[in-house]
Formats: sequence, structure tokens, C-alpha cells
Amino acid sequence: MKNVRMWFKKGGAAKYISHLDLTHCMGRALKLSGLPIWYTQGFNPRIYMAYAMPLSLGVSGERECVDIRLTEEDFPLADVAGRVNPRLPDSISVWGVTEPLNKLDAIAFADYELRLEAGDSAGLKSQIEGLFAQGPVIVMKHGKKGDKELDIAPYFSDMALNAGPGYLEAALRLPCSVSGSINPSLLLDALKSCLGLAPYAEIHRKRLLLEDFSEIA
Amino acid sequence: MYPKDIEKFLLQVQKPGRYVGGEVNAVMKDPSKVEVRFAFCFPDVYEIGMSHLGIKILYGAFNQVPYFWCERVFAPWTDMEKQMEEHRIPLYALESGDPVKEFDFIGFTLQYELSYTNVLRMLELSGVPLRAADRPELFNIVVGGGPCACNPEPLADFFDLFFLGDGEEVDMEVMELYRQCKKEGKDKKEFLRLASQIEGVYVPSLYDVEYNPDATIKRYIPQENAPATIKKRVVLDMDSAYYPDSFPVPMIEVVHSRISEEVLRGCIRGCRFCQAGFLYRPFREKNIEVIDAQCRALCASTGYDEISLSSLSTSDYSRLNELIDRLHQWTEKDKVSLSLPSLRVDGFSPELMERINSVRKSGLTFAPEAGSQRMRNVINKNVTEEELLRTVNVAFTEGWTRIKLYFMIGLPTETMEDVLAILELGRKVVDAFYQNKEKPRGKPVEVALSAAAFVPKPFTPFQWFGQDTMETLQKKQRELTGHVRSKRVSVNYHGAKTSFLEAVFARGDRKLCAVLEKAIALGLHFDGWDDCFHFDKWMEAFSACGVDPDFYATRTRGLDEVFPWDHLDYGVTKAFLQAEYERAYQGLTTPNCREKCANCGALCYKGGLCVEKRENVV
Repeated sequence: MKNVRMWFKKGGAAKYISHLDLTHCMGRALKLSGLPIWYTQGFNPRIYMAYAMPLSLGVSGERECVDIRLTEEDFPLADVAGRVNPRLPDSISVWGVTEPLNKLDAIAFADYELRLEAGDSAGLKSQIEGLFAQGPVIVMKHGKKGDKELDIAPYFSDMALNAGPGYLEAALRLPCSVSGSINPSLLLDALKSCLGLAPYAEIHRKRLLLEDFSEIA
Repeated sequence: MYPKDIEKFLLQVQKPGRYVGGEVNAVMKDPSKVEVRFAFCFPDVYEIGMSHLGIKILYGAFNQVPYFWCERVFAPWTDMEKQMEEHRIPLYALESGDPVKEFDFIGFTLQYELSYTNVLRMLELSGVPLRAADRPELFNIVVGGGPCACNPEPLADFFDLFFLGDGEEVDMEVMELYRQCKKEGKDKKEFLRLASQIEGVYVPSLYDVEYNPDATIKRYIPQENAPATIKKRVVLDMDSAYYPDSFPVPMIEVVHSRISEEVLRGCIRGCRFCQAGFLYRPFREKNIEVIDAQCRALCASTGYDEISLSSLSTSDYSRLNELIDRLHQWTEKDKVSLSLPSLRVDGFSPELMERINSVRKSGLTFAPEAGSQRMRNVINKNVTEEELLRTVNVAFTEGWTRIKLYFMIGLPTETMEDVLAILELGRKVVDAFYQNKEKPRGKPVEVALSAAAFVPKPFTPFQWFGQDTMETLQKKQRELTGHVRSKRVSVNYHGAKTSFLEAVFARGDRKLCAVLEKAIALGLHFDGWDDCFHFDKWMEAFSACGVDPDFYATRTRGLDEVFPWDHLDYGVTKAFLQAEYERAYQGLTTPNCREKCANCGALCYKGGLCVEKRENVV
């Protein structure tokens, strides 16, 4: 048995499917790939898949990963993507296959890119900078144990803002781990509750990082 | 690809995955290289439409032809619909994202009377004029098929034509005709006139209706040489009939995330309440080899791990155990499970259960349909109490503890005694559990009794019957719930009001077209969904149009009455249905088609069991 890490991107139409739906799509594609896939050995055998941090609905991802197992130790990894991709929806594709070096639960941060639609992007930029310059920015965080107030300033105040024609880009590095994550969409909540703004935003996860900010491998 | 503009609001609606397409096996074509574009519209949400077998068959069949392109369209849920209207985004097809109003054909599958408002709503959201008369060009041809096309009169003013019977062949003949008419520069009128000559095509605008002073139909007068009666189309040889080897696999969970393999069409049973049992005659089976090959192809293209062996009554497949053994030769190895969606009480054997080991032990459902034997004889549901108790005992021995039983109330000749017999039957099932020595230990039995209100339908022996009034139905429901004595038995019933509305449209005529228009003007649609069903507004629509809904639902018809569907021919004769109606009132059962031919009329197609049976007789 061999552990294999598949790297994939999820965007376009697939942005709008949940993590559970993603696992079903991936499961069907793996089943059809003809790869020597390892199944769990329980009463209901299932394809073994372990995902890194799930993407929220509506968020696209560029360097996402899932661990699977192959029953053939010497199966060439270079052949894996070519077998899986024709079976996946166009909006999900595997672009790399490696042997995992880090554990998935070692993920600690993620890099995001937010693209906010803004006619006056320079104006929006200074409004956001002004908001975070003044101190705590309180939003309601929805959790399993109910809603609670959270000051997001520590997480968002050092983001890089780049105003372009018709849009404002924000580059963010946020905690993203099994023990707790900060959702980049909290920035949008803050814009709404503090500034009364609701710009359309595309959220993109660029990469998953370890504790030392190196990319997971 | 969906229109880019919807991204702006897609995250504000529930289940955005419904609206984006992009599924594996969705058929993409170059619009500049196709000649006829067909928007296949399912008048309900994506998850329901994508679980429907008919759309998969026809989608595959149409798209096999290089110059046809068939795409899918579903009804957007109320939240999405609101956003689309606000942002001026017309209804679009999932494959290309192109607006429905740019399609040559706009086709609806008519599965359920309460989806008619959704049909109109979808045309409205497309920006297509509702009434056929307001669409003079040879373009945006609105067509419909499916079971409700057997009485399409409540929709007659909106549709250009209806397909009667099996659609695999006739639909494409009409598309081909359209293609020729386009090439030859013919107009819509000429196209419809030519289409009406194709067997299985009903062009409602070519028929004038005369009414009697009492508002019943006097006669239908065909125009332009249209046939006096329109025959349904039948695909006789199920082995050579088109069946898809792939279909779009939804990225989101839908009602049935599995393969449906149709193993037979039609039904031998002749239950008198069941419209499908009469509409789809004759009974035709597929060969085991064909089923096996189709299942393999679908598993190889979809990646699903469950195959449902579908039909109106799969336990009537003549070689079911052999079929399952054949499929098991590869399904177990490929980790594919089999399921049987429609098991009869008398079709549930220990041998079958051993073969369907994958059926979850969570619950089993059977449909005795009526509580008393007398009532079951009236409806010709040839199942006895002994058979039911034997079956539940098999189920208990095999480890099931939850049994769900489906019944109908409001059946012809029904008394309160018959209604209460439903509870009695439930009690006997509970007793059977406690008397069963091999029952599972430590788990209590749960018997759920579900009572639906009976809706009389065209082309059944009960097409003359006046539905119980809502008051009577509600009284029966109260009696049922009021007399439950056991904690192990639960009773639920649904919808006297929705059943009333269903009955109105099932046997309605063209006067209901105006009511439907009024209904959508009042904001009514998704009537099959509780949170969207507003009975008072429906009554407002009826009264605004001066239409009495009781005329259609609760009025018992005279035997000589001309029905709005009498000019449509489904093989089964009116004389046979009348004889069955009379036998019902005498409590006489009729043997199933395998035991004895009842001369229903379906022999006219010269195929299926009708012919096999006679060969055996000779």
C-alpha cells in the first residue's frame, strides 16, 4: 500500500459545491480512473480519501490536496493525474501527484486572495485601511457553539491591498487548521457591519501552509 | 457554462450547485454546428429533475444526432427566481448557459398536475409568450410529453404540440420535421399541420371543442385534416430501443444519486386506481443480456455505486432472480449494489432478500393501498392480508424492524369501516412481530401507516368517479388518527387540499388554461411543495375565472359523458375501463395479464406480453 497526495484545483462551477459533494465527485472519478485504489476494509468498503482543510462554499482553491492510497507499491505517480482528470468535472482538476512529506494536520495557515468589485477602488482601499487603523473590528463569528463576537483586526490589519481598475485585491494570510480557522469572508462581514458596504467579492485560496509558513508538501 | 452575471448573487441562494451545470457527461456542442436546439425543461428543482429517468433517456437519444443539441433546464427555486428577475437574467439552459428563448424547441416533461404552474412560470422566466397563439413564428415550439400528456387539455392553449406515449422515436421525428420545414421556409402553421399527421403527435390548436349546455364536452372537431383520434406511440422492442450509456452526473447530491436501469415497461397488474398501469401497456421486458450490458456501460460512465432496477413493478420481471445473479457476477467485485425500488407485497421472497443483501435494514415499504380485503378487491390490488403478514414475517426474520405501509383513502365505495381497517392491519403487523420467534432482539417494531387521498385519473376504471369532498377526506383522516391504540403504530396522512387540486387538473378541460394563467399571476407555483401551496389563492383564481373546481374533482360522471381525453387513444378501450368500473363496484377482481388476458385493447399494438401470451395460448 502506498500513500499518495493528489494536488488539485477547484474553481468555476465546482466553487458552488460543498466539501461533501467534492468528496463524492472525487470518489466517482477515482473509481472510474482504473487506478489500483485502496478501499477501507470495513463492512461498507469506501475509497480512502483524506482531505486537507475543506474549502467553504463559494471559495475557489488553487493548491488543494487529498491523500489516497494505492494498492500497488510501485505504481508510477506520473500516470495518476492523466487517469483521474478525464473523469472529473472540468472545474476540478488534478495538477500534481506526490508522496506526502507533511501530515495534513500540520497545516496551520492559508494564503487567500480576495478580489472586491469597486468602482472607486482607491477609495475603498483607504476606507478599509481606515477601519483597521482605528483599533478592534468586531464581527459575529458563527460557530458550532453559536455566534460569538470576534475582533478580526489582529488577523486582517497587515493584509496587502492593491487597488486596480474596478477592483481591489486583498492578499491575506489567515489561521487555517484543525484547531481553528479564520474565514476570509469575515472581512466582508466587517465591511457590511462597520462600513455598510457589500461589494461583490471573489475569494481564492492560494496555498496551504505549515506553522513555519512553508507550503505543505 | 452558466451566465457569468449570476455569480454576483449565487452565494445568496440555497444550494447554488443547482444552477451551474458543468457535470461530468453533460453534452457540449458548438451552437454554430447544430441545426435544432432543444431545451428540455423539467418543471421542478434540479435535484428532482436529475433523478428522473425519462429526461436521461431522451437527452441521450436527442444528443446522439450530431445536428440536434438537447440541453437541460430546471425550475429555479423561489430564492433564485427572485434574484434572476431582479438582475434581469432570463431562464437559461445548463449546458450552454444560453437563454431558453433562443431555443427552437422548449420541451416540458409533464409528470405531475401540480407542476403545471411551474411550466408556465418557466416560460414566463424565459420571456416566451405563454399562449401558443402569441408565438406565430416557426421558433420556440413548446412541446410536452410524459404521463400527464394523456389529458393535456388544461395546458392546451400554451403548448404547440404534445407527444403521446413513448417518446424515444416520435420526439425526434418532430425535430426532424422542424429541421426540414426550416430549410424549406415553411411557416409554423404548416409545420404543425404536418406534425399532426405523425403518429403520437397531438396538436391541440387543430381541434375545436364544442360544449354542452351543462358545461360537459359535446365533441372535438378536428381541423386541417388532423386525425379524429390521436394514437399514442409505443416502442415495442425494449431490447433494441435506445437506452443511454451515459448521462450527466450531478456534482451535488440529488434525490437519487444512482443509476436507473429500466428493466421493463408497462405493468401486468391492472390496479384500478393506477394510471401508469393502463397508460404504459403493453407489458414489455428487456432481455437479461441487454440489461446486463446497459448496467455495465452506465457504471463505466458514471462511477455510481448503486443500480436501481426500475419499473412500475420490478418483482414482476419474469426472471428476476436470474437477472440479479447475472448482475452479481460483476457488481460485487466492482462494489456496486443493487436496489429494487418497487416491490410488491407478494414479490418479497427470502431468495430475493438474500440476493439484495445491500438493501439497508433501516426500513421497508410496502403498499397494500387499502385496509380491508373488500376494498382491495374493489381496486383490484390483488394482495391478501395473509401475503402481507407472510412478507412482514420474512422481513422481521431477516432483521427489519421498521415497516412503512402506504394506503389510500377516499377510494370508491369506501366506508368508515374500510378506513379503520387500515389501523387493524397495522395492529396485525405489530402482533406478527411479537409472535415471530426469529425477530431481531432488543429492537422494538415500528409500523408507519401513511394514507394519501385518492385522486381519480383519466384512462383508469375510476375516471368516472367523483372524488371524496375535502370534508369527507378530512373526516376520514381524523378517524384514522383518532383511533390509534398502539405506541408502535404511527399514522400520517397528507394533503386533502393538494389532492383536490390534483384531481381538478387531472380530469380538467381547456377552461382551466385561464385558471392557470390567473394562478401564476397570483404568484402560485411549486404547488407540490407545502411552503408554496396556498389553497385560498387557488380558490381565488378559480372564482376569478368563473370556474367551479368541484365540477372537475368531485362530480361523478355519467357513463355516456364525453371526456376531454376521449380523442386520445392509449390502446386501452373505454369499454374495457367501463367494464372494470362496473366490476369494481361489484367487488370483482380481474386477473393480471400473465394469468389471463382481460382484453383491455392494448393488443392493438401487437407486441409485448399481449402477443407472447397469445402464442402460449395457441
